[in-house]
Amino acid sequence: MINSFLISFSLKNTYRVNGILYSIKQIPLIGRIIPSSLYSVSGLKVLANVISAIWEVISIFAGKAIYLSIMFFGVQSVFENVQISHSAIFLHALFFLTIVGALMNTYMFNPSNDKYYAMILMRMDAKKYTLTNYGYAILKVIVGFIPFTILFGSLLSLPLWLCAILPFFIAGMKLIAAAIYLIIYDKTGKTVNENGPSAAVWIFIVLLFVAAFGLPAAGIALPEIVFIIAVAAAIVAGVLSCVKIAGFGEYRQMYHKILVNAKSQVQSKQTAVRDRSRKFISADTNIKSSRKGFEYFNDLFIKRHQRILWKSTLKLTAVCICLVLAAIAAVYMLPEIHADVNSLLMVYLPYFVFIMYAINRGIGFTQALFMNCDHSMLTYSFYKQPKSILKLFVIRLREIIKINLPPAVVIGIGLSALLFVSGGTDNPLNYAVFVVSIIALSIFFSVHHLTMYYLLQPYNAGIEMKSGTYKVVSLVTYFVCFAFMQMRLPTFTFGITAICFCVLYCIVASLLIYKLAPQTFRLRV
Amino acid sequence: MYFIIEHLSKSYESKKVLHDIDFRFESGKIYGLLGRNGAGKTTLFNCLNRDISADSGRFYIDDGGQQRDVKPEDIGYVLSTPTVPEFLTGREFLKFFIDINKDSIKNLRPLDEYFEYMSIASDDRDKLMKDYSHGMKNKMQMLVNIIAQPNLLLLDEPLTSLDVVVAEEMKQLLRSLKADRVTIFSTHILDLALDLCDEIVLLSRGELEAVDKSNLDSHDFKSKILAALREDTND
Repeated sequence: MINSFLISFSLKNTYRVNGILYSIKQIPLIGRIIPSSLYSVSGLKVLANVISAIWEVISIFAGKAIYLSIMFFGVQSVFENVQISHSAIFLHALFFLTIVGALMNTYMFNPSNDKYYAMILMRMDAKKYTLTNYGYAILKVIVGFIPFTILFGSLLSLPLWLCAILPFFIAGMKLIAAAIYLIIYDKTGKTVNENGPSAAVWIFIVLLFVAAFGLPAAGIALPEIVFIIAVAAAIVAGVLSCVKIAGFGEYRQMYHKILVNAKSQVQSKQTAVRDRSRKFISADTNIKSSRKGFEYFNDLFIKRHQRILWKSTLKLTAVCICLVLAAIAAVYMLPEIHADVNSLLMVYLPYFVFIMYAINRGIGFTQALFMNCDHSMLTYSFYKQPKSILKLFVIRLREIIKINLPPAVVIGIGLSALLFVSGGTDNPLNYAVFVVSIIALSIFFSVHHLTMYYLLQPYNAGIEMKSGTYKVVSLVTYFVCFAFMQMRLPTFTFGITAICFCVLYCIVASLLIYKLAPQTFRLRV
Repeated sequence: MYFIIEHLSKSYESKKVLHDIDFRFESGKIYGLLGRNGAGKTTLFNCLNRDISADSGRFYIDDGGQQRDVKPEDIGYVLSTPTVPEFLTGREFLKFFIDINKDSIKNLRPLDEYFEYMSIASDDRDKLMKDYSHGMKNKMQMLVNIIAQPNLLLLDEPLTSLDVVVAEEMKQLLRSLKADRVTIFSTHILDLALDLCDEIVLLSRGELEAVDKSNLDSHDFKSKILAALREDTND
């Protein structure tokens, strides 16, 4: 038994260590100087092992600490004015959430990779593997909870013995859930995948959440004595469940079902991505094009992808029109907010950087381009000739700008109109700044997404994302846009700067594309 | 015409995949490229197709003593997994291809004639290619690659996943196409290589090496190839 546990533990560790090393290798620049032989470099291995050990310890305590502190502080702040004591609410919520946790986080029914490797690939004894690892997982639950139940329990002035017994209650509930799932398997042959609960389970979970927080809000909580009886019952039933778990003989068959299903889901993730993209292609046989060459090619692409390109942009535009009209109507009818709206408008333009980022269709467009078009076309040499790449780039740039323009025009004009209705401005140029800067931002994001795609083309033939740089640039874009949301700058200055920046960016991007895209726009190998 | 590779090398970190390759391919012949798993066949093709850049060396076309660089339109590259733009119909794809390349296609013919030639049924020609079978996609890919009559046709395991009828059609097609061009055909199936190819070339230890067939019957020739490949302990 112990041997079996040690083997599986070191297997899990190896897998985790290699995972850490692999992610180090994926970091741009740093990854390049590290050789692929890194998996056998002992210094790095020691480092990764240390990280892995720290991770193991963190995984014991961190989640539980966060969970209980959210509960503790949540109860303190949300239920400030409720008649029932905070300790009673805490225990009440803990009771229902523990049921949720027992159902959703069983460990036993989580189809994780380490189980797949150990039991399916390495053919370890399923029963020994499960019992030892499950025992360890339950032990981690108890050890991980004890310090925090005692800490938060004593802060709520619960008796120490009750605090100390809570982790055993949580573990007991988990054991009961596992035993029930095993009994269901015995009776029906059906396995449970905790990561994909059925609709019925979801509804039950929602009800439990309502019970956990809704009842206290309505002034109802489990009496402490009921809770204590439940705890005692759960612990006794938990011990009885151990008998079921230890006596269960069909772990091998059961895990075969759970893991092979889950694994095929993972492996088909890429197929799923492809299938999903394929579904976007319209099967309408009336779609034709009278153009020629690349215009013909692009025209058919756009028309057959109406659903994710034009249709969604038109919906978005409609939503924007409604919002703008509603805002104008509101301002018009409530003269008392004029001054506030007007002054907000004069400093809130940076906020729209994020909004324009969020509504830009660029990511969807480039993804569809890759999945349904370039993924296959990039294997043809005529398509990769510099003049073809550049010609198609210009056509696509035009399309993506066109697709993103309608909502931008609506927002730009809407902001100007709001400015006018809310009392106008001393400098009439401000009206133009709104319209032009919002359109410039829209064009900027269109150019940005397409340029990134052409310069960093991140996918390989198996449609895996291969470029760390692409991920980093995407993240940086996101955070920069997010940061703009926090900024308050005079609209005029910011608008003019944004317009200049966008124009400059477009020029630089076009130059880079002309220089580099024929080399960079390739399938990754 | 000759297609000549000189001193072509490619390494990944410290692993030398292609090691100073020198080879002279002659037009009119189909070359069967054999190599163990991981020997670098696909790397070689990717270098020749300029999908990855080689570390050193060059390759060029020698046409009656005139040397010139290989241009993209000189190369047709057919992959084992056929990739076609699935949002187009077969006819639209072909029309697009011909629109773009009409200047370089000799004796252009009506679209349907090309479909006839590839035995693609008339009711399939106007279907979206996302609904094509594997074999039909493969035919389309092959068609687009041969229509411009490239001087160099690279085929990476092209017949392995086709049904026997399509595979036989493709073999016939390749034989009919071999005049005036260099065809390099990589495969793991020795019998296929012996059946279809005029020359057998081994990629082992990062080098290309022709296997001389002179005076050997097919059994001895097979043994010779196997023996040579066994020497290549790749690890």
